[in-house]
Amino acid sequence: MEELGVVGGEAGASRRGFLKAIVGTGAAAAIASFEIFAIEPEPVLGLDGATPSGPTNALTSAADGQVDVLERMRVELLAALAKPVGQRRWVMVIDLRKCVGCHACTIACVAENKLPPGIVYRPVIEEEWGTFPNVGRRFTPRPCMQCDKPPCVPVCPVNATWKNADGVVVVDYDQCIGCRACITACPYGARTSDFGLTYTDQTPAAAAPIAGRETAGKYEFLPMYEYRKASPREGRESPIGNARKCHFCLHRVAVGELPACVSTCIGRATLFGDANDPHSLVSELVALPNVSRLKEELGTEPRVYYLT
Amino acid sequence: MITTKRALYGIAILAVALGVYGFYSRLVFGERDVNYGSYVNWGLWVAGYLFFAGAAAGSFMIATLDYVFELPLFKGTGRFALLASLVTLPAALILIGFDLGHMERIWKVYLEPSFTSLLAQLVWSYTAFLLVVVGSLLMIGLDRRRWLKPLMVAGLVLAIFVSGAIGALLGVNAGRVSFHTAMLPVQFPILNLASGVSLLIVIVGLLGIVQDVARRERLLRVLGLALVVLLLVKSYFLWVDYSVALYSQVPDAVAVAELVLFGRFAWAFWILQIALGIVVPIVILAWPASARNGPLAALAAVLVLVGLAVGRTSIIFPALAIPELEGLAEAFQGPHLGFDYTPSLMEWSVVAGVLGLAGLGYLIANDRLSVFRTPTEVTR
Repeated sequence: MEELGVVGGEAGASRRGFLKAIVGTGAAAAIASFEIFAIEPEPVLGLDGATPSGPTNALTSAADGQVDVLERMRVELLAALAKPVGQRRWVMVIDLRKCVGCHACTIACVAENKLPPGIVYRPVIEEEWGTFPNVGRRFTPRPCMQCDKPPCVPVCPVNATWKNADGVVVVDYDQCIGCRACITACPYGARTSDFGLTYTDQTPAAAAPIAGRETAGKYEFLPMYEYRKASPREGRESPIGNARKCHFCLHRVAVGELPACVSTCIGRATLFGDANDPHSLVSELVALPNVSRLKEELGTEPRVYYLT
Repeated sequence: MITTKRALYGIAILAVALGVYGFYSRLVFGERDVNYGSYVNWGLWVAGYLFFAGAAAGSFMIATLDYVFELPLFKGTGRFALLASLVTLPAALILIGFDLGHMERIWKVYLEPSFTSLLAQLVWSYTAFLLVVVGSLLMIGLDRRRWLKPLMVAGLVLAIFVSGAIGALLGVNAGRVSFHTAMLPVQFPILNLASGVSLLIVIVGLLGIVQDVARRERLLRVLGLALVVLLLVKSYFLWVDYSVALYSQVPDAVAVAELVLFGRFAWAFWILQIALGIVVPIVILAWPASARNGPLAALAAVLVLVGLAVGRTSIIFPALAIPELEGLAEAFQGPHLGFDYTPSLMEWSVVAGVLGLAGLGYLIANDRLSVFRTPTEVTR
């Protein structure tokens, strides 16, 4: 970190010490206490025991000695993971004043979850209004709202979707029958259905060094790891035929990493953390007077907050 | 009558042949060739399910006029109405089964259900309803009627419940303004009864199950008048639905109403639902001479059925074609991510096949099973 020259002064050094302490002592316990489907986590991907000990983001502000919010959120994330399951309250805060509409979060989500064609967890809605010269433009990322009163849950005929112990609405792909009732029920259009398409469907075969269907297809047929379970894209096996949605990257959170959309946001417009921690960044932000949620009138109690 | 029957066999076989492609595609390639998607997530098959399930429930209601309420005019017609119920219910279940992303997991609804889900309640209720229909027909066929009446009373309750529950299945979605109205659960039992009456008119008008001409004409006249009343009620429902939506000025409700009344498929509403599905049948059935004419009354009833089927599509498609959030349609492009839905050839093919199978099933049972080979004058 020092060699990157991104943290300056004693304040930076003391924060590094704090980070190391948290990482060293908290990570193992935190990861062990994490659960996704309210069951004991299984070792996956060889990531057990992994710690976020790599270099912090290069965008850390050196000038004023402030720690980048990404660092702060990762520290807070590990602290939250050290708490018993059920005592965390994951929320996302999206600062619409900072969002520049780059769609990096959308693409990061697609890459992280290996989303096939027709599946999107986090589109960014673009709006324009007014008449020149008084015009406005707004970008509204729309992940799953992880509602505290989710309309999508009670309609499922087979209990394939529910709020996990930490309050994230999850989907058990192997339980889902693909009726799409949850898609109808969601007032935010946050669920999409996997029709089994692949990007390389129409790609012609080609000989090396051109990347034809076989070469390009290798990537998209690799397993994806949503919910910490390897799901290869084979035949018509789940998640093909299932409703899919944003899950706050629980598989990343489980190992102390922030959701992909948060890490990738170039404007630090998307923030994530434990709202049960009164000192967390998200707790501070959701208490601001300029915070709002989508379609509050429906009483779904979304866990995604917007700063406007 | 033989010529009519041959024509009906021909139409049914043709429909089955048209369905081969759709069935093959669905069973081999899954939902690859469908046009519904993640936003308009329920398409032609769900609308077809609503229609056929409604016809099954409505036919059962009509059958109770014979076996439960014992109306003399309907004596002997009950088993034919029950047969209509028996063939339309599997048609509905095939369509909704094909609509599932994992239809092989349907057993989970029985063994691992969520009872808070209306869908699960419907699956259970339809299963019970199917058993009641089969049980009733078995009792009639085997002439063991001791428990027939109680069974059919239970079936009548189930028929009304499943009809209303389908409306509720849509109505509970508070996020969809045009679904979220108590009118939907109220409408469905009435519309389903209209389906049942229409089917019996077709059966009486074309298949010669009532041989006494005077009785047949009287029956057609009564059924015709009942259907006229039901069509007037349907007209009232439509008026209430769209006038309230337009007057409310709630943007999503207005958008849905405008889509139905003036949108791309407005012709289906005005021509198929209103002109051919309501006005023409009322003219035919309200006029005694044409109402008593079997083929003409059957034509009117078929038009009503087409209108009811189109009505199901205009309940489902437009409501889902309005983005939940403004700008969502343009936010991310991709296959199955559109709000503009037109059923694919494969979807139509499946519906044709299902319709053909139901029709063929009815005709074969009607001709081959002894319980249906005797006219209504012979009480069974």
